[in-house]
Amino acid sequence: MTAPDPVTLSVLDNRFRAIVEEMGEAMLRTAYSQILNSSRDFSIAICDGQARLLAQADHIPIHVGAMPFAVKAVLDAFGDSIVDGDIYLLNDPYHGGSHLPDLTIIVPVFADGRPIFYSVVRAHHTDIGGGTHGAYNPAATEIFQEGLRLPPILLGQGRVARADLVRMIVTNTRLPREVRGDLMAMIGAAHLGEKRLLSVLDKHGATETEAAVAAILSLSEAHARRIIGSWKDGSWKGEAFLDDDGFGRQDIAIRATVTKQSDSIVVDLTESDPQVPSFLNSSWPNTASAVRMAIAFLLDPEVAKNDGCFRPIEIIAKEGTIVLPRDGAPVTMCTSHCSNEICEAVVKALANACPDRAMGGWGRRYRIAIKGSDARRPGRSFVWHLFHARPGGGGSSQGDGWSTAGEWHSAGGLKFGSVEMAEARFPLFFAKHEFRPGSAGDGTFRGGLGGELLMRLETDGPAVANTAGDGVRYGAAGMLGGEDAAPHHYTLDRADGTSRDLKTKEVGIPLAPGDTLHVRAGGGGGWGPPEKRDPAARARDAEEGLL
Amino acid sequence: MTYRIGVDVGGTFTDVVCVAADGVTTLAKASSTPADQSEGVVNGLAVLAERLGLALRDLLARTERIVHGTTVATNALLERKGAKVAMLTTEGHRDVIEMREGLKPERYDLRLPAAPALVPRRLRLPVAERIRPDGTVEAALDRASLDAAIATLKAENVEAVAVCFLHAWRDDSHEREAAEAVRAALPGVFVTTSAEVLPQIKEFERFSTACVNAYVGPIVSRYLARLRGRLSDAGYNGPVFVILSHGGVAPVEEAARLAAGTALSGPAGGVAAGVALAERGLGQDLITFDVGGTSTDIALIQDGEAALGRGRTVAGERIALESLDIVTLGAGGGSIGHVGASGTLQVGPRSAGAVPGPVAYGQGGTEPAVTDANLVLGYLDPDNFLGGARKLDRDGALAAFGRLGGTLGLDAMATAEGVHRLANIRMADGIRVATVRRGVDPRDFTLLAFGGAAGLHASAVARELGMRRVAVPVFAAGLSAWGMLHTDLRYEMARSEINTGGVPDDTTLHAIWAGLESEGRARVASWFGGEVETKRAADMRYGEQVFEIAVPLEAVEWEAPGLTGRVTDAFHARHETLFTYALREEEVVLVNARLAVIGRLPPMAAPEAAAAGAAASPFATRQAWIDGVEQDLPVFDFGALTPMQQVAGPAIVESDTTTVLLLAGDTARMNGQGWLDVTVG
Repeated sequence: MTAPDPVTLSVLDNRFRAIVEEMGEAMLRTAYSQILNSSRDFSIAICDGQARLLAQADHIPIHVGAMPFAVKAVLDAFGDSIVDGDIYLLNDPYHGGSHLPDLTIIVPVFADGRPIFYSVVRAHHTDIGGGTHGAYNPAATEIFQEGLRLPPILLGQGRVARADLVRMIVTNTRLPREVRGDLMAMIGAAHLGEKRLLSVLDKHGATETEAAVAAILSLSEAHARRIIGSWKDGSWKGEAFLDDDGFGRQDIAIRATVTKQSDSIVVDLTESDPQVPSFLNSSWPNTASAVRMAIAFLLDPEVAKNDGCFRPIEIIAKEGTIVLPRDGAPVTMCTSHCSNEICEAVVKALANACPDRAMGGWGRRYRIAIKGSDARRPGRSFVWHLFHARPGGGGSSQGDGWSTAGEWHSAGGLKFGSVEMAEARFPLFFAKHEFRPGSAGDGTFRGGLGGELLMRLETDGPAVANTAGDGVRYGAAGMLGGEDAAPHHYTLDRADGTSRDLKTKEVGIPLAPGDTLHVRAGGGGGWGPPEKRDPAARARDAEEGLL
Repeated sequence: MTYRIGVDVGGTFTDVVCVAADGVTTLAKASSTPADQSEGVVNGLAVLAERLGLALRDLLARTERIVHGTTVATNALLERKGAKVAMLTTEGHRDVIEMREGLKPERYDLRLPAAPALVPRRLRLPVAERIRPDGTVEAALDRASLDAAIATLKAENVEAVAVCFLHAWRDDSHEREAAEAVRAALPGVFVTTSAEVLPQIKEFERFSTACVNAYVGPIVSRYLARLRGRLSDAGYNGPVFVILSHGGVAPVEEAARLAAGTALSGPAGGVAAGVALAERGLGQDLITFDVGGTSTDIALIQDGEAALGRGRTVAGERIALESLDIVTLGAGGGSIGHVGASGTLQVGPRSAGAVPGPVAYGQGGTEPAVTDANLVLGYLDPDNFLGGARKLDRDGALAAFGRLGGTLGLDAMATAEGVHRLANIRMADGIRVATVRRGVDPRDFTLLAFGGAAGLHASAVARELGMRRVAVPVFAAGLSAWGMLHTDLRYEMARSEINTGGVPDDTTLHAIWAGLESEGRARVASWFGGEVETKRAADMRYGEQVFEIAVPLEAVEWEAPGLTGRVTDAFHARHETLFTYALREEEVVLVNARLAVIGRLPPMAAPEAAAAGAAASPFATRQAWIDGVEQDLPVFDFGALTPMQQVAGPAIVESDTTTVLLLAGDTARMNGQGWLDVTVG
């Protein structure tokens, strides 16, 4: 197989990127649920016939390295029986998925009688059954309490999904209409990708296209290796901690021993703590993706995120640890926790190899969902999810971190809604929503600030809240002498004048009208020793009221 | 003879187009003067007068109106050279504009330093006050906190103030009271309120737009005053209109008040031209394709109307005003061909700009640009670029491709061809994204190519997309300035109407739009005395959705009972068109009521169709490389083509300011209205 000429190679490289972008636009326009069309919690990929990632739309970084596992799982399950027109679906984290709410649609793209590509769409669904509304169940001790498991299934043939299977899936969720709408949008986007890839194959033929794919992946690999090769050689340990597992155990460690030799990196997670009873365990695809995400953050942003750029990375883990749990352990929280801790441990270790590329830690995720009723809309209940008061991003050698830009796993890609709209739509009053002074980790370049929220409940009766998250004991890590950021601190200030700290993994917290939720989000970690900070920058922060 | 004049200020040239009462169009160009654009405007008018054989004063004495496209606001944002702005805002919510809804650009660039907000935090001054979404006052405006904020404004010597309070979309009395107090205490300072700029729910969009308005307002006001002064000195005291981001025009005073609305004034003229050509028979569905030096602007015209959107970001700042939905790509004539970090050949987004420009300009450029490729491949005439005003250095350009190709193992010609092809691919992909965003298929559209360089790429781009028809106006290089003369006065209004129980009843709907109508008509009546018409639209969504969609209501019968049902049905139908499905059992919410108030300017005379004479023959042949094959192409003079004359590709059709490359299989026919109509082979 000879490589195509350089111009054809560039043309195809551009086409593949444009195709995933177009699929992403289509998904955004057709998805039904808020989590997809507003928060963009979905990802798009093209893999080649060997399940190698070729191109991916930049949406949610934690999805970046996980998609090929899904295609691989379909190949393992169906192999030679895959035919033109098939539609595959999976979500099971022990069969190619990351966590149950993320459904993945996979469509093969045939030429010359064989699958040349797979068009892949992954999206986070608002509900997938299980013990609690909205998929995050801190009480789950088995994956069966987290929702419906789908190992790779043949959802349809001849480009049409089987209506009975779709009905079966949506019937197992609390929001069948939304899940059905989003599933149809995913299939539509995957078919759009197929159509575009077929026109590429039509024009260039399967052989030339495959040669181009191989060349594109090799070029990315060389690009990544060139950058990694410029870093210092050595072996370092990085460590990050989860607060607790919700069942009484504290300080759960993720430990990475990272060895950088020449242009390769080995990340050994063997020494990480044993798996936990709750949903903080990380499925293997998610663990691999968190490691890849960390290293992608350290490479140049323009390195193409494909199979080639991840070839220099080897990942080692031990079964029975939190980063490689045994089949059946709950994992729903893993795309944020312990992804964020895996990422942080790897960046900490590699900060020794490439200090100017490392960044202070980004925030941790701490969710709250409130269910109640509104006097203005009698007979209807509402569910409100906290996306406000985001944590801060980390500082780096290039400058201070972004305030309220969120966590490692989303990195400024998740949007929170309008306060005015929330007040108009829900019986909630936002007395304050501002930066939280003092939340950033100090450093030569400080982290970004977290947000602060004072939100009063104005429901017409009792309401109930669930939490799911981490990071009230450990703040985002400082890097290379930079200081850790303040951790989260959420309190419930009762209408009767009493107040208590909220825990990160609570189910069924009773709320009354007049109660105020006081969220103080953590900031981002600092980079470099604080004493080297430019005094003018410090004076500016003081003047701005950020300290 | 009387004249109307359109003026488009670009990065390099200021284009001046005049249409005479008999419909005859004349184009003149002068160098742009970035320090004070109005200087280049008057220079351009002088060149125009000369071309018409008139003294400038005589030309201006016979000029009925001047329409202007300006990039002053855009440049102030891009270069961060706006006014020193302070913000008065609701206590407890002073960080709205810097939080940016939690979003940060460049997903994988975590080292990107945080972007400073347009208004620094110490100048975002809290005022104790609070209004609720239903209009009730939770906390009255506290004069002590307002006075404290005003004392800071004085001490800081700010040039502009944006007053931004929560829920001012529902009740702006607190904003007005605070603005009055600021005006009284700081005369001469530019004051704007969020509800005046964008009376719509969603605080980030409204506050950000108001802050942009305050940031560019003083500069735009000063510029327009200078322009007025220069024109007056030259002898012109007639109406001056500015084309706004939504594609309509407004008097200079309105453009100064709503300066944020001029952010897309530059590219708006080209889209307005597309709408005007659609009316003249070009067809109702067009994709405007404006290829300039550093970028390509793409917009859709559907059913004869330009698509509008409100998600616009300029230089990273959100401007949520109704704007033309223009997609801008970093690929133009000046885009540089280079080996990217990944080791593949790439084109753009870096550009050679006006200085040093492409290698062929001989001004010190060393990296080959798209224009260099077009020259090396024989599509451009080195001796007759811009009518011979600039000689092009073909050998220099060829050598640059030799150097670039050397690293890839390609010869110079193959490299040049690669750069041309990649530019085509990037442009085609940009159109794909622009059309899929609107849920339309580009194959049903005509590609309207203009700007100096579009004609060289249009046929190949159309093939890439499966489009069958391309049109290139004979005035391609000055089409934006021409377009400004063919658009109407426009005032866009919006009011948010949030309620908890679905679409309001008939009486409420009538009252909402009647209020908008009387206010809007009064404003436009203060601009001119002609005919005014209005167009209703609404932003609506299903109860649980987050994003609203824009629903045109022009076709909805307004007076008969049952209006609520008809408005609701219009939403379902629109949703189905855009997203392939409707949920008719779901609750529907009306969020914003909209009204466009349009003041019809007297139409321009169409030029008399030239008589079909003897077909012009090619005036030269030129060696050109297409798909690696060297061939002799006939070269036609664009201006000499007679109506209905056909030209078969491969061929080149060129004028002083534009060149069209026709590929094998293309059939072009000169249209009597002044465009080359190409059927793509």
